[in-house]
Amino acid sequence: MKGSVAVVGGGIAGIQAALDLADSGFKTYLIESRPSIGGVMSQLDKTFPTNDCAMCILSPKLVETARHPNIELLGYSDVKSITGKAGDFTVKVTKKARYVDETKCTGCGTCTEKCPSKVPDEYNAGMAKRKSIYIPFAQAIPRVATIDSAHCLYLTKGKCGVCKKVCGPKAVDYEQKDKDIELNVGSVVLATGFKPFDPTSLKHYRFDHPDVITSLQFERLMSASGPTQGHVTKQSDGKVPKNIAFIQCVGSRNPRIDRNHCSSVCCMYATKESIIAKEHDPELNITIFHIDIRAYGKNFEEFYNRAQREYGIKYINSRPPEVVVDANNALSLKYEDFNTGDLKSQNFDMVVLSIGLDPADSTRSIAQSSGIALDDFGNIATSIENPVESSVAGIYVCGVAQGPKDIPDTVAQASAAASKAAALLSGERGTLIKEREFPEEKKLSIEPRIGVFVCHCGINIGSVVNVPDVVEYAKTLPGVTHAQEMLYACSSDSQVTIKDAITKNDLNRVVVASCTPRTHEPLFQNTCKEAGLNPYLFELANIREHCSWVHMKDKEKATQKAKGIVSMAVAKSALFQPLYKQKVSLINRAIVLGGGVAGMTSALDIANNGYSVTIIEREKELGGMLREMTELYDGKKPADVLKEIMGKVAENKNIKVINEAKLLKVEGYLGNFKGVVLANGKEMPIDFGAAVVATGARNLEPSGLFNYGKDPGVVTQAQFEKMLGKSLSANVITMIQCVGARNSEREYCGRTCCVDAVKNAIRIKKANSSASVYVLYRDMRAYGVMEKLYGNARDLGVIFIKYEAENPPKVEGKSVLVHDSMLNEDIEIASDLVVLSTPLIAGENEEINQLFKIPLDKNKFFLEAHPKLRPVDFATDGVFLCGSAQAPKLIDEAISQASAAASRACTILSRKFIETEGAVSVVNEAKCIGCGTCVTVCPYNAPSLYDVTVKVEEVTYTTKKSKINAASCKGCGSCAAACPAGAITAQHFSSKEIGEAMDAFQKGVKGISIDKGVVEVMV
Amino acid sequence: MSNVQSCYQCGKCTSICPMRRVSKTSPRSSIYNANVYGLETKDIWTCLTCGLCPQECPQQVDFLSFIREERQGKQPLDIAHLGVFTELADLSSKLNGNIADKTTDSKIGFFPGCVDSLDLFLHDVKTNFGEITTSSVKLLDTLGMKPQVLTMKCCGHDVLWQGKKDIFDDLKAHNKKYIQESGIDTLVTSCAECYRTFSKDYDLGIKVVHISELLDKLGLKINADVTFHDPCRLGRHMGMYDAPRKALTANGVTIREMEHSKENALCCGVSNFMNCNEQTKALRIARMDEARATGAKTLITTCSKCLAHFNCLKTEKDAVKSYDFDVVDLSVFLARQLGEPGKKEQGSAKPEV
Repeated sequence: MKGSVAVVGGGIAGIQAALDLADSGFKTYLIESRPSIGGVMSQLDKTFPTNDCAMCILSPKLVETARHPNIELLGYSDVKSITGKAGDFTVKVTKKARYVDETKCTGCGTCTEKCPSKVPDEYNAGMAKRKSIYIPFAQAIPRVATIDSAHCLYLTKGKCGVCKKVCGPKAVDYEQKDKDIELNVGSVVLATGFKPFDPTSLKHYRFDHPDVITSLQFERLMSASGPTQGHVTKQSDGKVPKNIAFIQCVGSRNPRIDRNHCSSVCCMYATKESIIAKEHDPELNITIFHIDIRAYGKNFEEFYNRAQREYGIKYINSRPPEVVVDANNALSLKYEDFNTGDLKSQNFDMVVLSIGLDPADSTRSIAQSSGIALDDFGNIATSIENPVESSVAGIYVCGVAQGPKDIPDTVAQASAAASKAAALLSGERGTLIKEREFPEEKKLSIEPRIGVFVCHCGINIGSVVNVPDVVEYAKTLPGVTHAQEMLYACSSDSQVTIKDAITKNDLNRVVVASCTPRTHEPLFQNTCKEAGLNPYLFELANIREHCSWVHMKDKEKATQKAKGIVSMAVAKSALFQPLYKQKVSLINRAIVLGGGVAGMTSALDIANNGYSVTIIEREKELGGMLREMTELYDGKKPADVLKEIMGKVAENKNIKVINEAKLLKVEGYLGNFKGVVLANGKEMPIDFGAAVVATGARNLEPSGLFNYGKDPGVVTQAQFEKMLGKSLSANVITMIQCVGARNSEREYCGRTCCVDAVKNAIRIKKANSSASVYVLYRDMRAYGVMEKLYGNARDLGVIFIKYEAENPPKVEGKSVLVHDSMLNEDIEIASDLVVLSTPLIAGENEEINQLFKIPLDKNKFFLEAHPKLRPVDFATDGVFLCGSAQAPKLIDEAISQASAAASRACTILSRKFIETEGAVSVVNEAKCIGCGTCVTVCPYNAPSLYDVTVKVEEVTYTTKKSKINAASCKGCGSCAAACPAGAITAQHFSSKEIGEAMDAFQKGVKGISIDKGVVEVMV
Repeated sequence: MSNVQSCYQCGKCTSICPMRRVSKTSPRSSIYNANVYGLETKDIWTCLTCGLCPQECPQQVDFLSFIREERQGKQPLDIAHLGVFTELADLSSKLNGNIADKTTDSKIGFFPGCVDSLDLFLHDVKTNFGEITTSSVKLLDTLGMKPQVLTMKCCGHDVLWQGKKDIFDDLKAHNKKYIQESGIDTLVTSCAECYRTFSKDYDLGIKVVHISELLDKLGLKINADVTFHDPCRLGRHMGMYDAPRKALTANGVTIREMEHSKENALCCGVSNFMNCNEQTKALRIARMDEARATGAKTLITTCSKCLAHFNCLKTEKDAVKSYDFDVVDLSVFLARQLGEPGKKEQGSAKPEV
């Protein structure tokens, strides 16, 4: 067994898996074939359904990955093969030649600027040019240049060599060769992602026309970092389009070209792209041509409704067969209007093809070379019960490599795969990681002795800001004893220079004027630590993003501004005091609330990772909703699945189960929770370090709808599922979808109901092919590989009839009346049995939400910390979420989430201690009036109130005082800003420190003027 | 200039000082220190400028002017809410500001005061400050007065009392010009602080009216028991005790007076956004306890600061005591009884202003 894992693929799936594994004490190799990690998510403008900026939420993860001491990043590297067995694999990797020495390159970009060779830019989906030596995008990790050997003039023709000449750190190396290396690891996680479908082969969609573009290209057009800086323009003439059409399912749901799957994300990304485009230009007309709109995820239906209601985006249920290009090169689409039966033709300025997700080439090649089974669609094959386990023990899979899915499902699976790999190697945890050691801190002299290091950043800063001038200015500032310029402050030789300067000049504060603290602060903080300075005595002055990059055209003013920024940093740093992280012990034990399939899976994963876990179940027995089911969609019997998993739970010595129990009280924080459990009428204490909420959901009882409750011939899908377990006498069965869902009262989509209906329809037909099954639906949401199940149902003769929400079916005695919206006619179906597909609704979540102070969404499901990148976390540290308690989901999805929650919990349980933030907020008790404002505003539940008696002369009263738990505090400063009494200080960002910085700036201000909403400050 | 030299150190002021009940502050010694030795004491900053001591002073020492002069140009010990309202006033004094609305020639102007910034920064006290403005305008409309709503800068009350006269002067200069250009002859305010400031610290040469002086003519029949808190700016500073009471009783409301009322009213505890601390909290509790003891369902006041401070105590996260009554602005209270315009009987008489 080896305490190391190779993660293949550096998209969001691989990044999440690597971070979880590294945080749980495993040496992790992250192998990415492209020059930078980030995957397709890095190319997206926004993410649905919250329209968060994709790069803004991804970039911190990229940086975290780069910085993590346990992650070794192998960028621009291909995996050739995986051999060996669980616990001991050999991964053969080819490190492709970048022709740039990664250890020397500082990412300054000088080479890119000077390179004369231009080639199509993959990052911008071919719509812009990049250079032959390039950094793929601004936030790229690793931030090093790569030479495109296919286009480099020197490498192809032996001419040029400019990049080598201009490279300051001498990093360009034309002699570099591909290098084969072998990694010895205990486990492998495949996160190879997908390849966007290439629509060239579908010739009738005229992808050759410049105004027919893919959805990914459209995404780049909308992005501020894209080829048009976010202005949507036609590629043909650069004009702004007025009418845009989206054609859905290009490269999906098309067995003719061997695409039997639904790509799961296109309906929502088309909706998102339409909304964003409309926000950019409200005059735009957007039409989305589709088959079904599959808005099945959390808040998707609401998003889809908003697109229609608020943005006027038109959805037409009809698929144009071709894009017509007329003699003037103008575009039009012909389609059938289902309402009238007319054939219509409409002109568009731009047609966006919503391209599907194809399996990545590397998925196939690695599977073939390493003997890993693929499914019918070319994805890594898995099963419902083990959704992240490949056919080879010890090799796990996550993300789109396992099947098309959106980002939150991908992130959940990534954590799930990490959980499995960590469980396999739990005995080796911590064996291959190392901690850095630092010298003892030197004593701080009273007077500030500030050192200022001003960076040229190659030409990034130096070509705009007069760096020597800024250095001379810095020398005049109060407290500054040393100032110097540096070519690259972040290069390794500069770290030595800074350390020497600290020692030689006895510096006790350090200011580096360079770039953003987001990426570079930890580096310089470590340099300070190596020189015996507390890391909180360091300050970054950002004169690149905040100055040279945005004021390129006015060098004089830019230099002035750089001086202002430096003076502010210097003034602030003079007040800095050393801050220390506290180490708090923790309880390496977890609880899981709820003993359904999600709860049991989560508990098993935590137990297999080597930690004790207690399942607290409300009912007499474990099993949850799976007990109510009679068959899974792959034909397996839920009873068998349950038996196996319950057997594992019973056998596992790390798991304790308390049935008929509930959690009454909880206090404490991450790593140190103290709770009280009520079971058998007795209250008992329970201490734990992390908790997983897996309390599930329940079926909606559709009382009063479609004669349910009055007519025994009307049942719910859940009841029908049970009936199917026995023999069924009904011969004509009509299912009605979206009962009690997707309406004004309950806006969300039930997600599982379409798949359940299709599954049960197939079961009826298989048992009795002469039975008639009608499914009355609004959109069939058989997403991902479920599309095939839907196809099977149609092949077996199940009849699907579409109805509109405004004109729902009626049940009258034995007949079901429905207006078929495709046929535009009323249909009557004499039915033996009417089955109502109702959504899952939230359980009794209010109690738990109060216990842990974790939020609920408007449908009373639990609200995760972030809908995209933290799908199983809560904002409150140490509490995690999985299964249908978060939103309705299928069993395999609940299992993935359960393992993910376990993985997240294990990143805490695996620690020896909890390390608090250094720069936390503190309360001055004498000033605190106990109003509780801090408690209200804190997102992390860190402040709490305790009772005190205040005696002020004649008046005595009992009040509260606030205290802030350093272990929960993130130092965000919300409380300090909100405190009316000014009793709270956000350390390192105190009012005094910020005030000094502002005063320093104000000293140089000669005037402020406002003209047409633009504020100009004269310095 | 304050007549502080006539103080003969009897100490009556200290004994009556509400702050003395909760802290070791002494008006007497601050006069003594300043007058005899020219010393600064922190007591000049703990003073709430409630106006109780000059009322009792046998020598009629103008303690309020003394405090204001002493504070002039010095740095306050503390300003609550991290001084955000002071910063706003400072900032707005540096900006151009609005010009008077020329679309109406109404001779009556209504100034909403700082309700917008209160709504912006004090959202946690669960008080709709903007409703004070809408209510006041609605009431004035009902009375047949269609006022111009004046979009001036801050009246400058807080900065003036915080010793920042330079900022005050800038604000005042702008506002005076605005009022001149607006052509009004009567300025109505609903805020006790604005009322005091425009009446005493500006020299506008036009009529300044507090809205409570107009509201007895509404002709409403309200069946409610309330208690009334006299804001120091309206009461002791301006001597207006009867108008707000009449505005209530004339409309059918019964007032249950608190133990201390009118000239003797206790302070809400926090004046001009200074001194949010244990001491001032104790004063708030003392005042709210008095209000609770009346048994009235509503506590009415006419100062947005008093309103904010009482409601802050009421909406505390983990309240020290529960106060089961509403704290409402006078205009808001009355306007809520109006119902939809035109539907209810309305006062017909147009009051003289």
